[in-house]
Amino acid sequence: MKIIEIKNVSKIYNESEVQVNAVNGVTLDFQEAEFAAIVGPSGSGKTTLLNLIGGLDNPTSGEIIIDGTNLAKLKSSELIDFRMRNIGFVFQAYNLIPVLTAKENVEFIMNLQSWSKKERDERTFELLKAVGLFERANSRPAKMSGGQQQRIAVARALASRPKFVLADEPTANLDSKSASTLLEIMEKLNHEEKITFIFSTHDARVVKMAHRVITLEDGKVVSDDVRE
Amino acid sequence: MIWKTAWKNVWRNKVRSLVVIASVTVGIFAGVFSIALMNGLIEQRISDALNDEISHIQITSKNFRLNNDPQLTIANSEGVLSVIKSVKGATDVSERTIITGMANTASKSAGVQIIGIDPDMEKRVFTLYSKLMPGTGDYFEKDSKLNLALIGQELAKDLNIIRYSVDSSTIVRVREKGLSEKLISKLAPITGKKFLNEKQFIKEMKSLFSKAEEMKYGLLIRKEAWSFREGARMTLTFLDKENNQVGSVFRLTALYDMANSMFEKSSVFVRNSDLKKLMGMNEKDFHQVVVKISNVDQTDEIADILALKLPDLEVTTWKKISPDLAMMTDMVSQFYLIFGIIILAALAFGIINTMLMVVLERTRELGMLTAIGMNKKKVFSMIMLESVFLSLIGAVIGMIVSNILIRITGNTGINLAQAAEGFEALGYSAIVYPKISAGFFGIVTILIIITGILSSIYPAMKALKLNPVEAIRAE
Repeated sequence: MKIIEIKNVSKIYNESEVQVNAVNGVTLDFQEAEFAAIVGPSGSGKTTLLNLIGGLDNPTSGEIIIDGTNLAKLKSSELIDFRMRNIGFVFQAYNLIPVLTAKENVEFIMNLQSWSKKERDERTFELLKAVGLFERANSRPAKMSGGQQQRIAVARALASRPKFVLADEPTANLDSKSASTLLEIMEKLNHEEKITFIFSTHDARVVKMAHRVITLEDGKVVSDDVRE
Repeated sequence: MIWKTAWKNVWRNKVRSLVVIASVTVGIFAGVFSIALMNGLIEQRISDALNDEISHIQITSKNFRLNNDPQLTIANSEGVLSVIKSVKGATDVSERTIITGMANTASKSAGVQIIGIDPDMEKRVFTLYSKLMPGTGDYFEKDSKLNLALIGQELAKDLNIIRYSVDSSTIVRVREKGLSEKLISKLAPITGKKFLNEKQFIKEMKSLFSKAEEMKYGLLIRKEAWSFREGARMTLTFLDKENNQVGSVFRLTALYDMANSMFEKSSVFVRNSDLKKLMGMNEKDFHQVVVKISNVDQTDEIADILALKLPDLEVTTWKKISPDLAMMTDMVSQFYLIFGIIILAALAFGIINTMLMVVLERTRELGMLTAIGMNKKKVFSMIMLESVFLSLIGAVIGMIVSNILIRITGNTGINLAQAAEGFEALGYSAIVYPKISAGFFGIVTILIIITGILSSIYPAMKALKLNPVEAIRAE
């Protein structure tokens, strides 16, 4: 089932009178439960493409349709609400809320969606177990390693059962062991929860585990390999 | 969740939050306590004026207040008194005879208002009887055949009735009051010497003590060094009912101290019977009837009723008799408003500054929150709650501290003895009892919450304008 349609999308930045084609006429589709990596050298447009898919940025031209909804047709407030209900985000620098515990960080979006306490608790503990941090439920981010924080960020992204998760260089700040653990967890959750994962990455390990690898160069898709 | 996150965010940077809270605490404490002090001072002044000087309502013949003509008397005072007593809320009355005259001693004279009173009636309306200086006599209690007069401490000083001297008993008293031996030794040159008036004594004191010592201990020494000869006399001269000048010797029954220099300098109390005899007035005629009422807020209402029932007389309320007091009560609310605005404005700028720093420091986090779906209303609420929490914590502590201090000083009083002369010259007591109503704290709390909300608008707007893509990339 097709959940993301990217139709001839371009993004042009005007920096100091110089036009930069960050994304240049990209057309892509993503299916349910895909585990896809977007690769390419620095400046190839990976992060920009993820921001466009996530509705954090607007394309200069083209259309992005998510589960039948054209993002360009949504008002600013509707877009924020759409992101909350449909998209999970994992950032390179984890971006957890430092004053909240691991449990509170994971249940934050569920709170925004007004889930009941019982539902929240069940889902939070389910995810904390899945990422192997159930015992650290009451720890604050500052007391956890980078790998642990990123696992909490993954749990937060999945908390409200989004249609897909966008992860921008999720392993960039992690050591080899933490990165492997995180990828295994994400692959497992992708399989169990049937949630699409789309990564931008330089990391060969991520590329190795991805079921689909899309390569960007100068904002254009130069290859799109689906693995069995 | 927003409340919980906002609360936890307040404590993210503990030192900064504590500094803001401390400054709000100090500001609120200073504001509330100053207002309580001012309120206490003004309420005390009004209370003193109503209980000691003018009472709530005065009834006179038409034009008596304007002309002070002794012939403008209230005839049939018994009828007037029965009318007043029939009005609900009018609790007590006192009849007075009033004449302007001169008070003279061998060395000095002063213009005074001579007030003839019935000591028993007067006791029910005024508290003058409780303001006698210890050791100076009694409140017309001795059934003397001599004319008796009760005068203020300040008039006694002006007429050289109070004299000053330092003797062995003075030394003992000042030592008991804590004067050091070093300072006591400085009194040696004037020990045994008598001073005719306060001015001479002060001049001598200034030559013996440093300015700081005189400021600190001058009043204490003067209080212990003054002396008054019981039974001292003075002459009162005035015009009688037929405009003939009359005069008579009055023995001082006591001195009073009302913490109002002007009143003390100008008001001499004598018995109605003594004054009327000298003035040739009918025993049942009076110049003034003062009325005490049970509830000061009913003054105008009762005055209107009395004016209707006594159409031939002039009924005047305390606000008209002493417009400065009325103005003061009106000014208090305006003073609160101005003071409140200044403090809340200072508080608002402090909060705005802090919250702008908070938004700047948390740019990336705020970008992340918007990215994952926290809408503008919730981002705004979170920032607003943080500023309300910051201001409210400081305000509550400030109000608790000021309430405790107001309660303590409200009982003990704050002694502004060093400025006593200045205060008393204006009619204010040098001992101030700060006072504030419980409702005032409720108003302050509401105003602080409003200020916190208003102060958060600009920083919150800054947060709402953040572009999530740029904010997430921010360092």
